[in-house]
Amino acid sequence: MGTLRYILRRLFFCACLVVGVSLILFALINAIGNPIEILLAERPGMTDEIVAEISRYYGLDGSVTDRYLTWAGAMLQGDFGTSIIYNQPVGGMLVTFGLETLKIQVPGILIALLASVGASVLAATRQYSRVDFGVISAAMLGHSLPGFFVGILLILVFAYWLGILPSYGAYSTRSMLMDSEIIDGLWHMVLPVSMLAFFNTATLTLLLRASLVDTLRQDYITAARAAGLPERRVVLGHALRNAFIPVLTYLGILFGLMLGTAPVTETVFTWPGLGALYIMAIQQLDYPLIMGTTMVITVMLVAATLLTDIAYVLIDPRIRLG
Amino acid sequence: MDAAIPAPLPAPPVKPPGIWRQGWYRFRRNRGGMVGLGLVLLVVLVALACPFLAPHDPGDQSAMLRGGARAAPSWLHPLGTDRMGYDVLSRVLYGAPTALAVGLGAMAIASLVGIVIGGIAGYVGGLLDEVLMRFAEFFLVIPVFVVILAVVRLFGIIVVGTPLEKVPHLNLLTIIALLGLFGWPPIARMARAEFLRLKQAEFVEAAICIGATKRDILLRHILPNALPSLIVLVALGIGGAVLAEAMVSFLGFGDPKAISWGQMLYFNYEALKVAPWGSLAPGVAIFLTVLGFNLLADGLTDAFNPRLRQ
Amino acid sequence: MPSIPVSASSPPLLRAEGLVVHFHTRDGVVRAVDGVDFEVGRGETLGIVGESGSGKTISSLALLRLVPPPARIEAGRVLFEGEDLLALPETAMTRVRGRRISMIFQNPATSLNPILSVGAQLSEILVWHGMATKREAPERIAELLRLVGLTDPAARLRQYPHELSGGMRQRVGIARALLCDPSLVLADEPTTALDVTIQAQILDLLAELRARLGMSMVLVTHDMGVVARMADRITVMYAGRVCESGSARTIFHSPQHPYTRALLDSMPRLDRSYRSGGRQLLPAIAGRPPGLLNPPAGCRFAARCPEATAECRRVLPVQVAVGPDHMVACLRRGSQGMAA
Repeated sequence: MGTLRYILRRLFFCACLVVGVSLILFALINAIGNPIEILLAERPGMTDEIVAEISRYYGLDGSVTDRYLTWAGAMLQGDFGTSIIYNQPVGGMLVTFGLETLKIQVPGILIALLASVGASVLAATRQYSRVDFGVISAAMLGHSLPGFFVGILLILVFAYWLGILPSYGAYSTRSMLMDSEIIDGLWHMVLPVSMLAFFNTATLTLLLRASLVDTLRQDYITAARAAGLPERRVVLGHALRNAFIPVLTYLGILFGLMLGTAPVTETVFTWPGLGALYIMAIQQLDYPLIMGTTMVITVMLVAATLLTDIAYVLIDPRIRLG
Repeated sequence: MDAAIPAPLPAPPVKPPGIWRQGWYRFRRNRGGMVGLGLVLLVVLVALACPFLAPHDPGDQSAMLRGGARAAPSWLHPLGTDRMGYDVLSRVLYGAPTALAVGLGAMAIASLVGIVIGGIAGYVGGLLDEVLMRFAEFFLVIPVFVVILAVVRLFGIIVVGTPLEKVPHLNLLTIIALLGLFGWPPIARMARAEFLRLKQAEFVEAAICIGATKRDILLRHILPNALPSLIVLVALGIGGAVLAEAMVSFLGFGDPKAISWGQMLYFNYEALKVAPWGSLAPGVAIFLTVLGFNLLADGLTDAFNPRLRQ
Repeated sequence: MPSIPVSASSPPLLRAEGLVVHFHTRDGVVRAVDGVDFEVGRGETLGIVGESGSGKTISSLALLRLVPPPARIEAGRVLFEGEDLLALPETAMTRVRGRRISMIFQNPATSLNPILSVGAQLSEILVWHGMATKREAPERIAELLRLVGLTDPAARLRQYPHELSGGMRQRVGIARALLCDPSLVLADEPTTALDVTIQAQILDLLAELRARLGMSMVLVTHDMGVVARMADRITVMYAGRVCESGSARTIFHSPQHPYTRALLDSMPRLDRSYRSGGRQLLPAIAGRPPGLLNPPAGCRFAARCPEATAECRRVLPVQVAVGPDHMVACLRRGSQGMAA
């Protein structure tokens, strides 16, 4: 009963959020007037008739409310409209570019997760030692380094000075590395994934180490040791699981914001992903593309917060939904 | 066990040290926090003194005419010149006031909104609390960065032809306002928790009993005691806002007329291979500023919530 | 309480000698435990009494080498069944903990892992010590849960700590300590965090189990009432040092150390009247324990002691026998001084 009501309330809130974000953007886009007029204003030979014709083609005639409802209705049926700049269905573009983004973001987060667990365990089990001090300092420095600056440094060192890794793009334009599309693709992923992993590791380590230090001080950890369980089991089996509970929220945000921070990453590495697409769309005022990209990013974020809630229930028996 | 280690009592002080003085005692012993304070003071100093420190005028592109753009560091240009012919060091120094304006401006707005909303929610409670906190949650899960990019771009078009267009640095002001308007929810949450806790505190109940006005209770009794917790978030937020402005500018949505580190990166990133100093110098400046505020926030947490961490 | 007479000839089950534990803090070294001796005979209950901060909990953790950082065991020996636990390699120590010496904790709300079911956390210990296979474990544990007085043990196995009441949790904590049939159980304030009505039940349970299973127990507490009820022998600690130790009877009937006397006087007793002219007159010990960061030279209790002399403030007293099985560390009772 309580659980069901909770889920319904949560879903309702999520729906409100998605609608809210779409409304804000839609209102803004329409506040600038007819984007077609702005885009075509500087082209010679554009009569009012042609502008009106093109506007109708992109569904830009009619009142603002009509337009929003038309857009929302089509979107609910999976039709995101047609990109003005690329003249392609937005839905297909979102999938293609979205997959490129996931290709670097997901490994970036997973590597960070592993690395931060290792670093946190190393540091927290040696509290007050030099190792601990080193890990905290490194994590604090890494956390304060702007992600895109890390990317710039990586490119400078590995692409320009050492010349061993490509500095931009997801694939080679001329000859593939070792004539294999897969190896070539992986080769291009190394730097962007490193940048994401570096940044996420630093932040996750700061949180996880603090939580683990706190957990290791709990009575039930002393009790597990007093029961004779070996240190490995106490730390990895008992402490780590408990230490993850307060970190879950951040982990959820990390997954949710994966697409949200993509514009920066993908600009640094000229990566053909959703973030780069979004930048292009707002620069060019390609309004179906702006709306589509924003929706994907928002839904992703909302889904991640929902999954975080579920993860809490799975990991912590004290939490009941509702 | 903790009772085993009481410090030897000094002679009773005339006036017991207040919450701020106690915090300062603890803060001073935190190495990281002191380093952070040093970095922050350095940035503030540079921001105030940049006209005297900068070797060149930040708008001086004359190197371009002499064919001296993208020149490596030299005695004339200690950090080199960038691809527009600007002196890198001068622009980095002049970026400090911009960064501080962004950080302080955004957090001033965020604190004001956050404390008012959170304070009301915590003090009044009930349905109003529920509604306000839902509202805060909405802002908390919005993909802020993406929305800010779109708003900055679209707002730039909307103002064309309106009197607003003549406002100097409108673009930068928009970014500051947006960072503030999207940055308040964490402050509101903390303010709510603190107001909720403090309104039941004995000294507040005592103030109510002696007939203090509501205004007095809120502003003189509750707010000052809620500040230590809030100030940590503000310090973190300033660093975050500086970073966010840098990212917005780096993507090309910044204020072209302002001298900001993000702008420098945006203009010089293309020339990274031939003139890396043009990108490295502003990057390091952002790093040191953000690090300073992060360390400061860390030290403040230790100073004001010693129980949170040992 | 029933007490098994200790034969003076048989060696004690456990004997701590010259135990020193220091906390290495940023401000300096805190001497939390500063040269402590005590012993527990087979089948005997030793009560370690002292106020909070006297080092009694740290001493008991030191027996298992579990003092939390930044604390470190600096010196001493812990002789248990013939071997020095402080000299054992860590791997051998994991076979002592939980199996031969186990521990009951003060706060049952925090000493059980909140995210594991009762069955899961108990069976892990049982299986690790090789006392049962994974399949046999639930049955063994259910049996033990019944022994500690929990109804419907099969259901309890599946429950999580937060689903149990405080008393039930402490019973689970006791069952955990008894899993591997240890020869010594350390109980650190096992009833302090419980409701008064539950306290008596848990104490009765502990006494009954000890008699039935024939194990020894170290009972750490600040409550003279609890030791009076449970202990055969008593060690009184103050500010990291032992003041007095002896059989429970001696300590209660002829306490020698001024601190022990003050402790006993501050205990409300039915056979005394504390009212005079409407004022409460239960005596309290004035002042508070010294800081252990830079402890004062001389006897730690000197500053609060009614009998203290100038010498007491200068030299540290060493324990001296004042009767059969009765040691006191007080210059006024014949202790030798030790230059601090």
